[in-house]
Amino acid sequence: MKEGKKKIFPVHYAPGKKLFHIVVTISDAPGSYSSILDLLRTKVNLIGTSTYTRNDGTAMFSGFSEALTPRLTGKELEKLIMSSKAAISVKVYEGEDGLLVDTFHTGFVVGDEVYVLMRRDGLVHVFDRVSKMLGSGGDALLFEEGMAMSMRNAEMMIRNVGAERVRAQMGVLNRFLAAQGWGEIEAKEGPKKGGFTVRIDDCFECSADGSSRRGCNFMRGYLAGGARATFGKDYESKETKCRLRGADSCEFQLTPS
Amino acid sequence: MLLTLPAASIALVVENRGGFETIANQLNRRGMKAHAPAAIVGKSGVKHEFAFALEPDSGKTKIVVDTELSVREVDEMKVLKFYVKVFDVGPEKAVLCVCPKLGERAATLAKEYGITVLEDDVPRRLIPMAEKVVNEFVGSGGNQ
Repeated sequence: MKEGKKKIFPVHYAPGKKLFHIVVTISDAPGSYSSILDLLRTKVNLIGTSTYTRNDGTAMFSGFSEALTPRLTGKELEKLIMSSKAAISVKVYEGEDGLLVDTFHTGFVVGDEVYVLMRRDGLVHVFDRVSKMLGSGGDALLFEEGMAMSMRNAEMMIRNVGAERVRAQMGVLNRFLAAQGWGEIEAKEGPKKGGFTVRIDDCFECSADGSSRRGCNFMRGYLAGGARATFGKDYESKETKCRLRGADSCEFQLTPS
Repeated sequence: MLLTLPAASIALVVENRGGFETIANQLNRRGMKAHAPAAIVGKSGVKHEFAFALEPDSGKTKIVVDTELSVREVDEMKVLKFYVKVFDVGPEKAVLCVCPKLGERAATLAKEYGITVLEDDVPRRLIPMAEKVVNEFVGSGGNQ
């Protein structure tokens, strides 16, 4: 099976369709989730669903769906779902004119950390603007901010799992960045002693236009900061290949300085 | 920037460049290491250009000078643009030569950032003003 991007549903647009966002608190006993799905399959076509457990021993089901019949109402769905022993509480939100927005959730939580989701393209254009307005100083600013963010993230990770584990499982932790859409990172021993060569496929920083920039300075700083926080020494970080300069992927050399 | 300036202003930019080269040559004859224009790699690894810079053989850059020529008051974005380069390079002194003058908010920002600002309506007058500041800095032991 090929790896890919996860689909999530904070918004869905389907003109002419009757749409529902179904949120159910369920018991986390085995079979609860499937019993809710069994009930819903006769009434709606599920577009996307997610489930997650909560600290109080319950779980949440959240699903975006299209009604199979135009007369179906949210109240009918709520009544149907509450007929299941697995359902503890339910709320069904109806879309308007084919537009359905998640009005239940107020953000994203990973572990204990609150995350913000934004369009890649939008963020990349912020970087473009910084570089365009501030010239070489903008590139330096992006490097500094990348390094500062990385130091904070690495320190948080070290607090959570310990420095030894971070050092030993760098490859696995790089997958954590990939899962967040930063790019597929592969680090290996570099040509210089104690250094690393880091290759990034689908690097987010050069994923859009980037006409004002010649490289990924935020990511260059991010890698230098992560290495510093993990190994306790300064690293010189150079981007030797970049998609903004015609390469297929980005490559960085991290060398102890 | 050159594309937005009229031909007369382009001539002034070139003239100013020549003026800074003269200052650099004079200092180099006195055994110092001055460049005009100067390209300096900052802490981030990014290379920044300045109209003039005085550098020791090793260690911290001593002084950097840049110019901002405009047909109207220079805004705070130009000050910020200069400041982020200065922040990355970390010189002992930073001088911004401005024609005709900074706007009010830009002047406040420059003061906050500790940037020495030289202003004049006539661009060529900025060269001797900058030369004086550089020589005072060198004379005060700034080149030790």
